[in-house]
Amino acid sequence: MSAPINIRDLAAGTSIVLADGAEAEIVDNPGDGIWLFARYLSSPHDPSLVGQEEMIFVQNVVSIGTATSMSSRA
Amino acid sequence: MTMNRPRGWRRGLVDLDVGEVSREIFVNEEIYAEEQERIFARAWLHVGHESQIAKPGDYFVSCMGEESVILCRDRANKVHVFLNSCRHRGMKVCRYDEGSTTVFTCPYHGWSYGTDGRLVGVPYFREAYHSRLDKEKLGLVEVAQLANYKGSIWATWDPAAPPFTEYLGGFTRYLDLQLDGWDGREGQAEVLGGVQKWLVPCNWKFPAENFSGDTYHNISHRSVDLAGIGPSGAGRRDMGERDVSRKLHVCVPDRGHQTILYVLPADKLPPPAYMNAPIVAEYFRHCEEERRRNRGEEARLVGAPGEIFPNTALLSRQPRTMAGWQPRGPHQTECWRWFFVDRDAPSEVKNFLRDYYIRYSGPAGMTEQDDMENWNYAHAASRGTIARRYPYNYEQGHGTAVTDYAYQGLRVPGEVIDLTEVQSSEQPMRNFYRRWAEFMEADDWSQLATWRTVRKAAE
Repeated sequence: MSAPINIRDLAAGTSIVLADGAEAEIVDNPGDGIWLFARYLSSPHDPSLVGQEEMIFVQNVVSIGTATSMSSRA
Repeated sequence: MTMNRPRGWRRGLVDLDVGEVSREIFVNEEIYAEEQERIFARAWLHVGHESQIAKPGDYFVSCMGEESVILCRDRANKVHVFLNSCRHRGMKVCRYDEGSTTVFTCPYHGWSYGTDGRLVGVPYFREAYHSRLDKEKLGLVEVAQLANYKGSIWATWDPAAPPFTEYLGGFTRYLDLQLDGWDGREGQAEVLGGVQKWLVPCNWKFPAENFSGDTYHNISHRSVDLAGIGPSGAGRRDMGERDVSRKLHVCVPDRGHQTILYVLPADKLPPPAYMNAPIVAEYFRHCEEERRRNRGEEARLVGAPGEIFPNTALLSRQPRTMAGWQPRGPHQTECWRWFFVDRDAPSEVKNFLRDYYIRYSGPAGMTEQDDMENWNYAHAASRGTIARRYPYNYEQGHGTAVTDYAYQGLRVPGEVIDLTEVQSSEQPMRNFYRRWAEFMEADDWSQLATWRTVRKAAE
C-alpha cells in the first residue's frame, strides 16, 4: 500500500487520481486536510462528470496524477 | 400585573417588595438549567462586532449562553450566526477562535459546510448514501434572528422575540454611546486587538449585577485609585468630566436594561484629560468639540457601566469595552471582554488606549481583579446549606426612583435615581432581577413583551 498523501500540501493545478480511476485537477485547497475542490479531467465510470467541479474527499485521493489540465490544454 | 411582583415563579426567590433575592438563584443547579432554556434560548445576546469579520470568509467563534456559535461573513458578504455543531454527530465544525476559511469541516467524519451554512461536502455521498441524503435540510443550524446594530452583532434563537431595537427600548441611547464615534458620528467603533477571555468561579449574575450599576462597591477599588493607573497618572480614570456632571442611575423598567449615566451641565465642556499624552489629549479635545456640533444636547451624556439583559455589559467611557458573562455552569462564568476605539483614530491614540484599557480591565486589569475577587468569594460563601437560607438584601433606595427626570433641560426617560444626591442605590439590581423573574416565569414572548400589553390596554 502506498504512503498516504498529505493533501494539505497540494496546490491548485495539481492533478489527482481518485479511487474509482477518475482524474481531477485541484482548483482550490481549503487546507483542512479533508477536502479539495477539483474539476474532473476524466471519469471512466461516469463520463458526464468530466468538466464538472466537485468537492473531493481525502480518502478518495489515491495518487498524484499525470494528466494535463483542461485549462492548459485549452 | 404589578411589575414588582413576579407572578409566582417559585414565589419568594425574587421578592422586590421586600427587597430580597434568594441565594438559590445563584447556586442551584436546577435553576441554572432552567435559565438556559428560559433566558438564554429566548433573549437577544451579543455575539461580536462586524470589524471582527471584515472580509468574506472571515469568522469569529463566539457563544450564546452555553452554545458555541460561529459568527461569519459568507462569500456574498452576508453575515450569519450558526450553531457550531455538526448535524451528523455534533462535533464542533470550527475549533479555532477566529480566522478565514472557505468551508467549515467537521474533523470527526468529514461533513463540510460552506460559510453560508449549506452542507456542501459529505464523504461517500454517492457510494454510501446513494446520493439520497437531503443536504438542503442538513445545513448548520442558524439563529432565528440576527441584528447588526451600528456594527455590533446580536442574535436570538427565538423566532418570536421582538426586533432587536424593540428589545432595547429606550436603551438604544446608551448603546449608541458605546458604538458611535467619540466625535458623535454614527457607528465608528472597531474592536481593538483580540477578545480577552477568562474564567471566574462565580455565577454569571454576579458580574451582570455588578455592571448593572453597582456604585456601592467603590471601596473595593481604593487600592487601584491609590496606585494611580489612570491615563493622566492619578486615580483609576480621569474623573474631571464626572466631577462636574450629574450622576444618575437609569433603568428601562420593562426591558431589564440599566446603567450609570453622567450628564454634563448645559454650559460646560469636559475638563482636559489624558494629560500625560499630548497627542491623545488633543485628539479627545477635538472629538469633544465635534461631538457637541454633531449631537447638540445629547452630547452632554457621558456613558458609564451598564447592562443589557441578560449578560452584556457596556462601559463606553473609559475604558471603552463591552463584556459578555458567559454561563459555564452555576458556579463558573467565562468572562469575555471586547475593547473598542474609533476606527479612524490615530495609531498613537489606539496604542495609548490599548495600554490603558488592559491596565484597567480584563484578567490582568487591576480594577477588574478587584471585582473578580468579590464575585469569587461571595459565590463560594453562598453555596452552603446554611448560607442558602439567608437571602441577599436589595433595599437600598427602594421606592425612590422618579420617572420624569430632567437636568438643565435634558430629559432622561426611565426610572431614575439621582446619585449626586443619594450616593448609591440598588434600583438597577432590582430592575435586573425583576426582568430575570419575568423571563423565568413567562411561557413565551407574548408574556415577555409586557410593553405591548400596556400599550394595548391604554388604547
